[in-house]
Amino acid sequence: MEALVNKRIKQVLKGDQNAFAELVELYKDKVFQICFRMLGNRHEAEDIAQEAFIRAYVNIETFNQKRKFSTWLFRIATNLCIDRIRKKKPDYFLDAEVAGTEGLTMYSQVAADVQLPEDEVENMELQETIQKEISKLPEKYRSVIVLKYIEELPLQEISEILDLPLGTVKTRVHRGREALRKQLRSL
Amino acid sequence: MKPCPEEIIDYMHDYLDGDLNREKEETLKHHLQECSECQHHFHELKKAIAFVQSTSHISASADFTDKVMAGLPKEKKKIGVQR
Repeated sequence: MEALVNKRIKQVLKGDQNAFAELVELYKDKVFQICFRMLGNRHEAEDIAQEAFIRAYVNIETFNQKRKFSTWLFRIATNLCIDRIRKKKPDYFLDAEVAGTEGLTMYSQVAADVQLPEDEVENMELQETIQKEISKLPEKYRSVIVLKYIEELPLQEISEILDLPLGTVKTRVHRGREALRKQLRSL
Repeated sequence: MKPCPEEIIDYMHDYLDGDLNREKEETLKHHLQECSECQHHFHELKKAIAFVQSTSHISASADFTDKVMAGLPKEKKKIGVQR
């Protein structure tokens, strides 16, 4: 895998734009997944994930081919997500009440669009609840939790992606887990 | 009842990260056998992880790659989009 990736990167460096499409294909789901779990919104996640790939392409000369490409790519993506979260106004959140509709949230509107068998509805509700709780985590805990438990990356790699000492990553994982424990205990 | 040793919660987290040595793991196990409160805490931590891991993996849209490719600057180097 890494050999193929490095080959494609060399082609891109030589000016072969099409070789980049293969890199996008290889990593699009993972990058999108990180963005979606960080941002909690599909549209935003698509925008940011696409932006991450475009930035990777524009800056490909700065990638050190001795390192792992995915680490570098995930770093670009998480940084963009963190920037977005910091700029985001709180009223963008899905659980904000929609004006003029007492108690009705964007969540219930989104969910009402699709008809699903009952157990899937329950599962979807559960999925939404979990995502909502992930979105409530402060961004510094959210990134480590997403990378560890959704992307299932080793702590060492998370420390490289976030450019943080391993000890800091561990502390954030611990605190993030404690926060989630309190948020999810009633489920 | 004597209070729980302060480090027990840290031990739980180190255990969950696969970072706890044998000796401390024994300490943690013994304590959990005796203390229902810490047992409950540990259970809640594992439950929270299981919930997060249960979220289904979602995929990027079918036209994702095309959109990225369409968004790339035509010329590389200095002439293209500079960010």
